Parts: sequence; C-alpha cells; structure tokens
Amino acid sequence: MDLAPAIDVKDLKKDFLLSHSGINSFKTMLTWWKKRDIQKLEVLKGITFQVQHGECVAVVGRNGAGKSTLLSLLARVYRPTSGSVVVQGRIAPLLELGAGFHPDLTGLENIFFNGVILGLTRKEIQSRIEQIVEFSELRGQIDTPVRTYSSGMLARLGFSIAVHIDAEILLVDEVLAVGDLRFEQKCYGKIDEFREQGGTILFVSHNLESILRVADRCIWLKNGLIYHQGLSKEILMEYQEESLSLDSVESP
Amino acid sequence: MTMLDELRELWKFREMLFTMVQRELKIRYKNSVLGFFWSLLNPLITVLVMTVVFKYVQQNATKNLNAYILAAYLPYMFFQLCLLDASQSVLNGLNLAKKIYFPREILPLTMVISNFIHFLLALVVFFIYLLGVYLLFPDKIPFQWTTIYLPFLLVINLALVTGLGLIVSALNTFYEDVKYIVTVLLYLLFFILPIMYFIESVKNAPIVTDHPWAYDVYLLNPVAMLTVAYRKILLADPPTILVQQAHYKPIPLDMPMMVVTTLMSFAILIYGYALFNRLKWKFVERP
Repeated sequence: MDLAPAIDVKDLKKDFLLSHSGINSFKTMLTWWKKRDIQKLEVLKGITFQVQHGECVAVVGRNGAGKSTLLSLLARVYRPTSGSVVVQGRIAPLLELGAGFHPDLTGLENIFFNGVILGLTRKEIQSRIEQIVEFSELRGQIDTPVRTYSSGMLARLGFSIAVHIDAEILLVDEVLAVGDLRFEQKCYGKIDEFREQGGTILFVSHNLESILRVADRCIWLKNGLIYHQGLSKEILMEYQEESLSLDSVESP
Repeated sequence: MTMLDELRELWKFREMLFTMVQRELKIRYKNSVLGFFWSLLNPLITVLVMTVVFKYVQQNATKNLNAYILAAYLPYMFFQLCLLDASQSVLNGLNLAKKIYFPREILPLTMVISNFIHFLLALVVFFIYLLGVYLLFPDKIPFQWTTIYLPFLLVINLALVTGLGLIVSALNTFYEDVKYIVTVLLYLLFFILPIMYFIESVKNAPIVTDHPWAYDVYLLNPVAMLTVAYRKILLADPPTILVQQAHYKPIPLDMPMMVVTTLMSFAILIYGYALFNRLKWKFVERP
C-alpha cells in the first residue's frame, strides 16, 4: 500500500503578471523608459493540503478565488511561483472537456489524439476504443468531423475518453453540467465506479448539490488562501450562508 | 532540469509527437481535392517560371537549368515553411497547452517534422524527374554518386531548422512582431541564396574578385552553404556555367566551410533548445 498521499500540496504560491496593454511586443521593449502597466497578481498565496488515495475532495470559492489555477497547477500546466505540488499516479485532467479536439478530424481520430495526449499508447487506446464509443453514445457520428458535433456531444466524447484512460487521479472543473440530465446521471455513475476502484478525485464546482453528491471533503478557497476545510456538509452550509449574506449586504 | 532530462521527457511523449505529425499531415490536405500535389505544384510552377526568366531574360545558357534551380529551391522552401509554421506553432497550440501538460517543444517540432516529410516526398519527385530526363535524353544525365551524402546534409539541415524553429516559436509567443521579421528575412534570404544564380557567379563577381574575403563571408551563412551543398551533391556540375556570354568553371564544394556550417547548425540547435526550455513554462502565462 502506498502511504504517500495522492496529492501533496505544500505552501503553494502562484503569481501572474497582468498587462493592460494586451500582449507584449517590441514596442514595450523599445519604450522601456515608459512606465509599464504590468501588475503582479497573487492568485494563490500559500496553500497547504493533502488528498489521500481514494478520497474525493471538492474545492469551492467565489470567482477568482484561485480554484482553476489550483487545478492547472496540479495538472502541471503552470509552474508554482514557490512551494511544491507532488502527485502520485497518472492524472486525467478534465479541465475543459474537448480541449484537445481538432474540428476537422473525425470523432474516432480525435479519440486517438486525445488519448495519446493524456499519456496512453496507441495500442492501449485501440483496446479501449469500443468502451469509449459505447459510453459516449456517439456510435452513429463517430466517423464525422467533430466540428459538426454539438457542445453536448463534445462533452460526452471528452468525458468518455477521460474516464477510460485508467488514471489514478481525476481533476474535474465544472464539467458535468454540460450533458443532458440522463448523461449527467451516467457520469455520476461512472465517477462512483471510479471511486470504488480506489480513484482519487479533485473537483471544482459551483453546483453545491453535485458536491454533496460526490465529495467527502471540502476545501474553501478565499482570496488565494484556504479559508476553511472539513466535511462537505458543514463547509457547504457555511459557504452558502456567507455567499447569501454577502449578496444581500454588499459585494466586495 | 538539464537538457538531457528534457530530452528524456520528450522521448516519453514520442507517441504524442508522432500523432501530432500525423494529424498535421492529415489536416493540411484533408479538405482539398489535389491533396499532397498542392505542395508540389507550388515549387514546380515557381521553378518553371524562374527557368523561363533566367534562360531568356537573364540569358543563362547553362544546360539543365531547371534541375539546378529545383535542387536549390526545394531546400529553401523546406526552410521557409518550417520557420513560418514553427513561428506560429506555440500560439496556435496555446489552447491545448493551457489545459494539458506535455513537453511544449512538441508544438514546433511537429511543424518541423511534418515539413521535413513533405521535403522528403518532394525530393522523391525530384529524383523521378531526373529519371524522366534521363530516359528522354540519356546524354544529359545529371545523376551522380555523391547523392549518397544526402542523408548527412539532411541531418545538418534538420539541426539548423529545428534550432531556428525553436527560437522563433519561443520568441514569437511573447513578441508577435517576430513573425513579421521572420517573413521579411525569409523573403530577403531568397535573393541572397544561390538559388537563381550559381555560386560560381558569386565567386567571379567583380566585387568578390577584388575582395576575396567577401566570398567566405557569403559562405558563413549556413543556409547559403547548405543550398550550395544540395546542388553540388544532387547534380553533377555542368561542364561550364554560361551567363551572358561569360563562362565560369565549376568550383568544388568548400569542405572547410561545410564543417563550419555543420558546427554552426548544431550550435544553433543546442542554443535554440536551451532558450526554448528556459521560456516554455511561461508560454501559458504570457501577460
């Protein structure tokens, strides 16, 4: 048994540089004497937490609290400004479904492409292709270019690929709400199955119901710091109370 | 991470690189009827027009002129397309890079490799063309044994374009002016390179006979040296180069300069990879 936690985050900080003039250019280089309107934005200001194998943890917080940045750091898309992120096992990022789809390729070709990006070999994909197509319920359209797909169909295909790559850790960013109700139920079913097999999930959502349904533990991010963490039920109650009171009194 | 670690990480993602190249080749011609032939039509028509102009306007009476132009123009086209595609590759792949971890160099490398495959196919067509000429006019055969050096030349060329491709793709991500600068430089390069003329014309130009060092400076440009080398190893020298009643004797390939070009190409490759690695995790965070 692996004793190290699935996700181990220590004093994680992340800054971004913000420029109001859009992207950098030689113009900003040539006019170096001018004051540049680049600001430093501290999104995460030092957070520490662990997620054990088989746990399902939800991250809540208002817009701009740093939830998505945290997921991106876990997916190794960003490098931390300081602190460390240690992840044990293969990650399937479900950050935004269908991120790696190319509109001109068929669904089948995109399954291969996406699977390879997520770290499978072509052989491994070949052995799962049946399950993926079956789960996505797109058998009729799998040979047409994905530009003809609706957003719901794209989401179904993306989810189907991500849950079939046998990852140990699933990063989910507000994506289960895209399919229709029936497919959503199917996704939850798949997630339960994934958890029964010992999979770990980190989950970002504004949908409190789905958090209650899936997560055992909750981390509440506020202004780049962990404000509270604990059992989902308690944290969510508190979170809901504060959100509602803030709305009625003032907006920060 | 050292460069070796980066390379090891890239090796782990070779399957992704392979799939990206495959995807690139597929997309490029998926929606066009003539498919791959579009990529050949362009150089063939260009060379045809150039041949007519040089033969009849510039009065270059060298035999088999079109073959010599083609042997220099195909590598130039490879070079040009590689750099243009590479300069945009990271920006185009940014959406993917923002979502998923992978070694970022896969983006420009995909462009270099898929263009390299096009180049190889174009070379195959070039040899078929030579064979056709040979079958029609057996006395004109320009085939020669030095063609066996072609793989070495391809490796040097690949090192050079990969290095430059990494540099322009990394810089263009932060400074979008780079793309325009590259476009202009490539356009100018076309005139500087011995494509429309022979290296012998350069050597015998009055300004070079007065200042012999100018010739060495000219060959210090690795792309110029490679262009000369492609022509020399793919085709036998014409007995004499005839431009506007002037006869020039063919000169053999300058081997010391070829060594310099090789060293420069690999130095650029190593520098380019180091620069790219230093910047690649900032791509997704560009302000």
